Amino acid sequence: MGLDIRIPLGLIFLAIGGMMSIFGLITRGSATIYEKSMGINLNLTWGAIMFVFGLVMFLIGRRKKWQDDPVTPRPWERGTGIRH
Amino acid sequence: MLVYFVFVLGIGFALKRYMRTSNDFFLAGRSIPAWVCGLAFISANLGAQEVIGMGASGAKYGIITSHFYWIGAIPAMVFVGVFMMPFYYGSKARSVPEYLRMRFDEKTRAVNAFSFAIMTVFSSGISMYAMALLIQTLGLFHGIIPDQYIFHVSVFLSAIIVLGYIFLGGLTSAIYNEVLQFFLIVAGFAPLVWIGLRNVGGWEGIKRTLPTNMTHSWQGMAHASTNTLGVEWVGLAMGLGFVLSFGYWCTDFLVIQRAMAADSEVSARKVPLIAAIPKMFFPFLVILPGLIAVSVTSHMAGTPAAVIHSRTASGHAVPLDEQHPHGIIPQKIDPINGQPVLDTNGNPVYNYDLAIPVMLLHFFPTGILGLGLTALLASFMSGMAGNVTAFNTVWTYDIYQAYINKKGTDAHYLWMGRMATIGGVVLSIGAAYAVTNFNNIMDALQLVFSIVNAPLFATFLLGMFWKRTTGHGAFTGLIAGTAAALVHHGLTLPTDALPGMHGGWLAVVHHYPSDMAQNFWTAIFAFSVNLVVTIGVSLATRPREEADLVGLVYSLTPKPAEGHLSWYQKPSALAVGVLAILIVLNLVFA
Repeated sequence: MGLDIRIPLGLIFLAIGGMMSIFGLITRGSATIYEKSMGINLNLTWGAIMFVFGLVMFLIGRRKKWQDDPVTPRPWERGTGIRH
Repeated sequence: MLVYFVFVLGIGFALKRYMRTSNDFFLAGRSIPAWVCGLAFISANLGAQEVIGMGASGAKYGIITSHFYWIGAIPAMVFVGVFMMPFYYGSKARSVPEYLRMRFDEKTRAVNAFSFAIMTVFSSGISMYAMALLIQTLGLFHGIIPDQYIFHVSVFLSAIIVLGYIFLGGLTSAIYNEVLQFFLIVAGFAPLVWIGLRNVGGWEGIKRTLPTNMTHSWQGMAHASTNTLGVEWVGLAMGLGFVLSFGYWCTDFLVIQRAMAADSEVSARKVPLIAAIPKMFFPFLVILPGLIAVSVTSHMAGTPAAVIHSRTASGHAVPLDEQHPHGIIPQKIDPINGQPVLDTNGNPVYNYDLAIPVMLLHFFPTGILGLGLTALLASFMSGMAGNVTAFNTVWTYDIYQAYINKKGTDAHYLWMGRMATIGGVVLSIGAAYAVTNFNNIMDALQLVFSIVNAPLFATFLLGMFWKRTTGHGAFTGLIAGTAAALVHHGLTLPTDALPGMHGGWLAVVHHYPSDMAQNFWTAIFAFSVNLVVTIGVSLATRPREEADLVGLVYSLTPKPAEGHLSWYQKPSALAVGVLAILIVLNLVFA
């Protein structure tokens, strides 16, 4: 398939993780919000973890893009003529 | 949450241009890598019933619920990967009913195709219903949409989203979304378990709070009366572990379809094995929250249980009953009069289905709460989408192409598949409303599923591993097995149930300690009758020529060539690894 699943997967985690981290940063001093999670800023920590995961997935997806692409020739096929 | 919806539909659009033939649409062009299929494989199964139901049983029965994973899924997944996948994938069948036609005959396929199509529509309807009900109960859109419309808006919104991405991208889109949903579910529930465990003092803390039979999965399995499920180990191992789980994981096209989309036979065989690894650890994500929910004592700050109760303005503090701990589980509220539901003895009934949602509200602050709820909705949608894609394939290939229009062009079948998607979603909405209007229909449907599914595995087992099995044998066996399940259900009754929906509508000749035990034994009977009848009739009828069966039967099919793979790439090595982890897990929580 032309679209590597890791790219959208990476993007969605980048977006959600990013939003959560920013929200966590803004609200990091607020005691009322984090009373529920026993004083742990889950937004910031988990958001950051998700962001990193998303970044890794996205980069891997970008790097390996040619592997799953049916149209552009693979590296070892270049120069051997047109495929399909 | 909006971000998620945008992505979901975006994938559909991005994949639309790759959908050129019906093969692309229904089988994802057989080009998906094994790990992607593997994640989709469990995600499709991780529907509403799974997340809500397992959390609920975790809260109700304890860690023993993990048997549904460790006994009731993993061995079957290993079996289907190692032994059965070569026939599904290698026979070039496009669906499970189509395999039945190639192996047996037209009538066996018709029975399977029709019963399967009807079941998928109803299960996706139930998924939709459960989701809408949950949204309504939690009041998620409270203040945005008028209360009386929340249910309808939820049903239609979820239907349109699922319809959108499947219509555009077919199975590929469904699989991609299932992978996203899988990661979202993990991302949403993992911090929940972590924070919950911290709160109750870790696994040791749970052990201190709860009775011992809730924290040991094998304790008291020797006799039905000494464990929380009310099942003895024979019924558990044979009924759940063998008949029901193999019947589901090895024959249900909903999950097999994911594996059939893999890019090669080796990949297809690895799909269920890869899926088995996260599946083994899912109890920690879905059952543990249930356990934590009952361990948390009510003196915690900011109890959201009160938030849910506030609408009924009851605000009562129920004393913690040592025998049935309920922690932060809210009471069941009658949707009509808003009063707490009481059982026949006047005790309040707890709504265990809300175990996981309540945990989310209890521990998650604003922000990550959105993620948790999105994860919950994602799980509902993945279950729904799985049913819809399985439905459109079976409808188009096994009903439409087989009986209605045999000579259409490929473009025509692609068009039909899209129409079937719309049809399937519309029928699901209908099913969702049918479930809403008839109280008992849910129980009745689950009963029908178990009766139809129970004997299936015997047919496949004999078909794949005994070349003498004939089409007539398979057909009569299937019918006889279903009939046996019905009769068994009609003759037995769980204790403390009245004859009727729960069984005993013919005559009561035997009492089971629980409805779960009855269910397992129904499956065992159906399986045995099917096995015996199929063998009997097969011996009496003429078998097919062996040449016709190459690629369809074990003894006549060349073993898949694995010589070029190193040992760690072989499916069997993976299978041994999976089984080893399984045994360790069982010992740890024994």
